[in-house]
Amino acid sequence: MERKQPKAAITRRRLGGMAVALGAAAAWRPARAQTGADVAKAKAEGAVMLYTSLDTKIVDAIIKPFTAQYGIKVEYYRGGSADVTAKVLAEADAGQIRADIVDASDIGAFLAMKQRGLLRAYDSPAAKAVAANLRDPDGMWVADRLTQAVLQWNTQKVGKAPAHWEDLADPRFMGKLAYFSSSNGDGAPRLYTLASAFGWKLLERYAANKPLRLNSPQVMTQIIESGERTAGFLINDNIAWRSKLQGKATDYCFPAEGVPTELGAVGLPKAAPHPQAGALFYDWWMGEAGQKLLADGGKYSSRSDIAPPKDSPALSQLKLIVPDNQKLFTQRADILDRLTTIFGGEWGG
Amino acid sequence: MSASLAAPGTATSTAMPRRGGTLAPRLALGAGVAALLLFVGYPLLWLVLGAFGLPRGFGLDGFARSFTRAANVAPLVNTVVLAVSVGLASVVVAVPLAFAVARTDVALRRVVHGLVGLAYVLPPYLTSVAYIILLGPNAGHINRALAWLGLDFGLNIFTGSGVVFVITLHVFAIPYFLTCEALQSVDGSMEESARMLGAGRWGVVRRVTLPLVAPAITGGALLAAVNSLALFGPQAILGLPAQIVYLPTRIFGAVSSYPPRYPEASAMSLALVALTVAGLAAQRLYLGRRSYVTVGGKGVRPARWRLGPWRWPVGGLLMVPVLLAAVAPVTVLTLAAFSKVWTKAPTLDNLTLAHFQAALLDNQIAVRGLVNSLELAVAAATLAVLIGLAVAYLDLRTRLRGRVMLDYLAILPLGLPGTVMAVALLQAFIHPPVVLYGTIWILLVAYVARAIPMGARSANAALRQVDASLEEAARITGASWTAALRRVLLPILRPSLLLGWLLVFIPSLSELSTTILLYSSGTETISVAIYRLNDMGQLEVVAALSVVLIGIILVALLLMQALAGRSRTAVVASAAGG
Repeated sequence: MERKQPKAAITRRRLGGMAVALGAAAAWRPARAQTGADVAKAKAEGAVMLYTSLDTKIVDAIIKPFTAQYGIKVEYYRGGSADVTAKVLAEADAGQIRADIVDASDIGAFLAMKQRGLLRAYDSPAAKAVAANLRDPDGMWVADRLTQAVLQWNTQKVGKAPAHWEDLADPRFMGKLAYFSSSNGDGAPRLYTLASAFGWKLLERYAANKPLRLNSPQVMTQIIESGERTAGFLINDNIAWRSKLQGKATDYCFPAEGVPTELGAVGLPKAAPHPQAGALFYDWWMGEAGQKLLADGGKYSSRSDIAPPKDSPALSQLKLIVPDNQKLFTQRADILDRLTTIFGGEWGG
Repeated sequence: MSASLAAPGTATSTAMPRRGGTLAPRLALGAGVAALLLFVGYPLLWLVLGAFGLPRGFGLDGFARSFTRAANVAPLVNTVVLAVSVGLASVVVAVPLAFAVARTDVALRRVVHGLVGLAYVLPPYLTSVAYIILLGPNAGHINRALAWLGLDFGLNIFTGSGVVFVITLHVFAIPYFLTCEALQSVDGSMEESARMLGAGRWGVVRRVTLPLVAPAITGGALLAAVNSLALFGPQAILGLPAQIVYLPTRIFGAVSSYPPRYPEASAMSLALVALTVAGLAAQRLYLGRRSYVTVGGKGVRPARWRLGPWRWPVGGLLMVPVLLAAVAPVTVLTLAAFSKVWTKAPTLDNLTLAHFQAALLDNQIAVRGLVNSLELAVAAATLAVLIGLAVAYLDLRTRLRGRVMLDYLAILPLGLPGTVMAVALLQAFIHPPVVLYGTIWILLVAYVARAIPMGARSANAALRQVDASLEEAARITGASWTAALRRVLLPILRPSLLLGWLLVFIPSLSELSTTILLYSSGTETISVAIYRLNDMGQLEVVAALSVVLIGIILVALLLMQALAGRSRTAVVASAAGG
């Protein structure tokens, strides 16, 4: 159950980490962060490549007015947070960074990219509306959205609606639960967050109910909508929100004892092929208009001046559980191992 | 490898013995050899180095981790179980089918034969998606039909047997074609003698025919099993949600998570290669036994059994596996592509073209994927045939030392499942001196490398049919080597080479297992678009893309048939041979 890692491996990993940190330190130049994008240069660059883990429906909505306003084409690479991060790291290995702007719902990923010195500091005027504790002190990334992992159920199948995390561990949900994670573990952070708040035992009891694992929250909600599974844990609030809004037979709740929150963030790669266009899109993405579109799509914006999605409670009314991102980052391998032991299947660990 | 490295220099002196070579042929052959070394030899070297932890360090950690962690042992066991099950299941389906088609006058036998060919070229990940639509728990068409009838078997494609089922529907074509071919070439006089000596019909089958074709059956089963090891599509699309991990999906997880763990992935890849090579070696051994068996082209053609009133009932029975393997998947994908919601009946108000608009115009990954796949498949087919031609030429027209090594290098990719190839290429081309990762070139290299065995075999078969005396005649009458090649050899070879080209084009167009680890933003392929959209649960758009892909494949098949001048499935059979 506990860490099976041999001691030597840990030491070597630590050494490796130190080496990387030293390398990053050596590469660090005390250059001042760029403030705001150069619109003329951005237009001359003419294109932006966005790497994102956000739902494509929202991405498309945000891109459209940007392209209309600036005439800059936005293409995107879309995958889970782990896909996006692994892709950026691999491209960095090859010295072939293709992303102009990276968005992923995993702060650990940004810590990893920052540690490897892949990000550049950027002081966006649009980021000022984001609380200081949601920004990297060095300006390498800024949170763009908060995804709450909620409880969702099929209203026709559920009987008594669950209200607490504990409820889904009940044997009456045997063979009736769903959750998600792709094979490279992008569902892991929220499971870890839940476990660190309420104990790993809770996850083991979920596992005892033989939950169905899906590849993405988008497929998970379909399974609950169709009634194939009755209830699900840790689905994205915006997905559950949209399902209900579309009149599907589903409902969801933010359990009062606490809701795992996943911070999404954006950052600019140092070696981006279109640095100014990337920065301009960053300003747009983080700006009031962009973040408003995000909220229209059911996401909680990180900006303090953007209202929550329609009919959704203010974040201040929720008890948010924020994971220790540093731990999430450094203990990733162990966390994935542990989830593999509990749930089985492939976690990329 | 060093022997073949030295090859180009010594090559030309023996290759062009009569008049001494010019620069052009040396360059052409040298380029072919260099490509082979760079595309196959170099990545393989990195696969082995990577397993030892290079370039970041050196150690046996990768091996230790891959063979001691529980998370890695289960996939190994699952993979072996999968291969054995698929091998057995393929024989059960293929042998009766082959016997009926090759040896009886059963109705619909040509249709059955053709549909087995279609089942084989249909990308297995599409069959997987089709079976989510057909046999998904509760929502699948078959399950809903059964429920409507008051029957609930709780059929579920997301299980280990679901994976075996879908993969068998794809690979049973291999033992089928091999058995068909063997049955047709058994010398009929032996069977006749047995009958005259008083053996009954079934007695002849059991005591004469089956033993004669046994090597083909066993060899086919082994090839089917080996093939199943490598099929990432069904293993991922059906296996991952079922929480069943196989080596390819495990390797995929280890590399596509962050930070990627190359040593472990490389060591597991070597294990997968060992399984593959063991299977292929066993298959060679069995097919080798053919040599002392009297299966030859000559002799009396065995007469077909007359089934009389059973012609149609048996024909109907034979249609079941091909309906499941080819007709049903294509039909449900087509229906879903035109339906607003796939779970609803295909009525008029459920009809829409919106998914085609999404697939062909709106969804940028799908649009890029289609363009990239077409470009890649055309380029890969061309290069693979050219390289294959260079290898075959060196093999058959020269007595160059080291050409045997080249031959081995050219068939080596057969032993490398797509996932393994990706792990090798990733490590070879992510670091200097040759950096291709993040560009479309790494996909091109991958496709060419995977297609070289097919290219080399096509070119080899074609070149064998042409006697060297034709070129020599041209040379004696004063033509240069290049002219002899261009004006004499290539025109004769053209139809066979085009056929080989199409044999590479079709699988390249739909390649998934290597692509999924190597693509980047902007270099998505049609298979990546399908895989990713399926992840997002957008089954209707997936279906629309599938219809487009199947359409292109069908056109290529028809072209092949026209070119081959023989039955399309015979061509597919030769493709299935590897």
